[in-house]
Amino acid sequence: MTGQGRFRLTVEGAADVVVDLDAPSADAQSMDGGNDSQVSVYPLPPSAVDRAGDRRRFDVMVDGWHFTVRAEPAARGALRAQASRAAAAHQAHAGVALRAQIPGRVIRLWVADGDQVEEGQPLLAIEAMKMENEIRAPRAGRVDSTLVGEGQLVERGEELLNIL
Amino acid sequence: MTSRRSTVALSLRKDSPPFKRVLVANRGEIALRIMRACRDLGSETVAVFSAADADALHVSAADSAVAIGPAPAAESYLRVDRILDAARVADADAIHPGYGFLSERPELARECAAAGITFVGPSPETLASLGDKIAARSAAARAGVPTVPGTPGPLHLEGAGADTALQAAADSVGLPILIKAAAGGGGRGMRRVDSMADLLEAAKAASREAAASFGDGSVYLERLVEGARHVEVQLLGDGQGNVVALGERVCSVQRRHQKLVEEAPAPGLSTAQRVALHALAVRVAETVGLRNAATAEFLMTPAGEFWFLEVNARLQVEHGVTEMVTGLDLVHEQLWIAAGKPLSDNVRAAADVAAEPARHAIEARISAEDPARDFTPVPGRLGRWQQPAGPGVRVDSGVGPGSVVSPYYDPLLAKVMAVGTDRASAVGHLREALYELTVTGLQTTLPFHLWLLTEPAFTSAEGLATDLVEKLWRPEGLTANAADRAAQAALKSTYAAFAGPGGELQPMPGSTWWRRGVEEGTRGAT
Repeated sequence: MTGQGRFRLTVEGAADVVVDLDAPSADAQSMDGGNDSQVSVYPLPPSAVDRAGDRRRFDVMVDGWHFTVRAEPAARGALRAQASRAAAAHQAHAGVALRAQIPGRVIRLWVADGDQVEEGQPLLAIEAMKMENEIRAPRAGRVDSTLVGEGQLVERGEELLNIL
Repeated sequence: MTSRRSTVALSLRKDSPPFKRVLVANRGEIALRIMRACRDLGSETVAVFSAADADALHVSAADSAVAIGPAPAAESYLRVDRILDAARVADADAIHPGYGFLSERPELARECAAAGITFVGPSPETLASLGDKIAARSAAARAGVPTVPGTPGPLHLEGAGADTALQAAADSVGLPILIKAAAGGGGRGMRRVDSMADLLEAAKAASREAAASFGDGSVYLERLVEGARHVEVQLLGDGQGNVVALGERVCSVQRRHQKLVEEAPAPGLSTAQRVALHALAVRVAETVGLRNAATAEFLMTPAGEFWFLEVNARLQVEHGVTEMVTGLDLVHEQLWIAAGKPLSDNVRAAADVAAEPARHAIEARISAEDPARDFTPVPGRLGRWQQPAGPGVRVDSGVGPGSVVSPYYDPLLAKVMAVGTDRASAVGHLREALYELTVTGLQTTLPFHLWLLTEPAFTSAEGLATDLVEKLWRPEGLTANAADRAAQAALKSTYAAFAGPGGELQPMPGSTWWRRGVEEGTRGAT
């Protein structure tokens, strides 16, 4: 089983981790135990892509944290990562795209295209679940291609503006 | 409107029902909880629902249900006219407002009276004087109850001179300041201000949030007392001259002024302190002639003084912990009081021993919020949902497997409560119960609660200040460790499900690898 026994685990959720692991060790098994810790794994039904890629997906709860985990042969995972790195490098030239973390309504827009902003400066506020959620600049730069206006409804993941 | 369930025969009940049919003007867990109480007493139930809630549990739980408008609360659950229309259509003789939404709006109580429908709550006059926090503060002051230092009236945020007037008001109150909404609740319309430079912008933001949540943008200033604890007293009055206190609760673990954990009684109070606190609360309630349920909130300063904050003239989210300690069903009592009965013998007996509680109960609010990302709401769809159970455990929830968590409303999914003979046993019991909760599909506040219930500052009750979360909650290490263990566990499951007899990994049936094997004759067909 050498080669095929090494797996890439792609963890997404409360923290994102990508790790290559061999067959589970005795250590790993004991990590599930203990009174003050709980790990539950629920296999997700495989999609056509999962089947073709020999990939398994799981819902995993660790002490209340929720993750989805993808398991696939490590070699295949490495190829996929290479492809997505290339895509990311291409996108880096376009600056940082800010996306809505929650669906809601843009109730304030404090900046306009061309504004210089500092890291941490509030850019806009989205109202969701009756709370105002401020979106701040992830780094210093210049605001560019603002795609939303005050009063506009946005979906989760929708691009709001760019910082060059 | 369809009839879903017939009411159970009344032969086992000694009283006739307080109402024939109760409309519950709310959604989520509290709507379900109120409907259960109605059914207990033999009253039929009517649900109302917005377009976003057509498939919600509270709709299917009711005997009948009426659509009241589009998803935004301002166009559905906050519309007095639509609630009244629904009550008429369904022929309800009472409306229970739950908490939030219209629960403290005098208009709803007034319109109910005009329509000949009983409002399960205080009179419109009491709601006007208590629901408006500014008016409540002056009522308490008139009754000789100490209040938190603050501005006596609403602030004017627009027009010439607004800035200087605000500055002068802030100077008289003193930093740090809490901006609060006159119609507020649930942390909405509330802002902390540490520097005068932030004052105007914060006040305006609070006012906008208040206007969006409550339809009233009035805000006022209150001094923020560092290291203070929140203590609140459960009150019941019958409008016939009787008001009692049913013990106190603390809601000291908060985030963004939203409560995360509540418990009853307040740890560390002496019987004498409890007697004094309960008496202050009763005095405020008597001043406004309280009928039905209310909660008086106080700040307990580090010096042990009780300063009146506000009265919530409705059932509170956290009423369940008081029920677990007293053995009462507060919604039953609300319904009987609304039907014109005096305080029951059970209520009086519970009030007599309220300063010497024999049990301790704790509640954890499970919300669709990511505690690793500043408790940001995460609407979405639940995957699995399995609730804890067992003696001394109570779960009030409004969701099930696959439920949609809408971005339009509060992200509260469920309240998990546990009771014990003392605080330590209640803490341990709640922790075990929370380990039984399974929820996938979106992140909830569950890991925060599991951490909190082993955190010494909480378990010892010494760090129960309102800033506990800001000071001690550091999720980064927890999430990184949990992600590693998630990877290990998924790997183990991959092997457990697919490892062959010799330990070699079998491909997933149906994969290209598998199909090739079948073609080559090295694998069996599935």
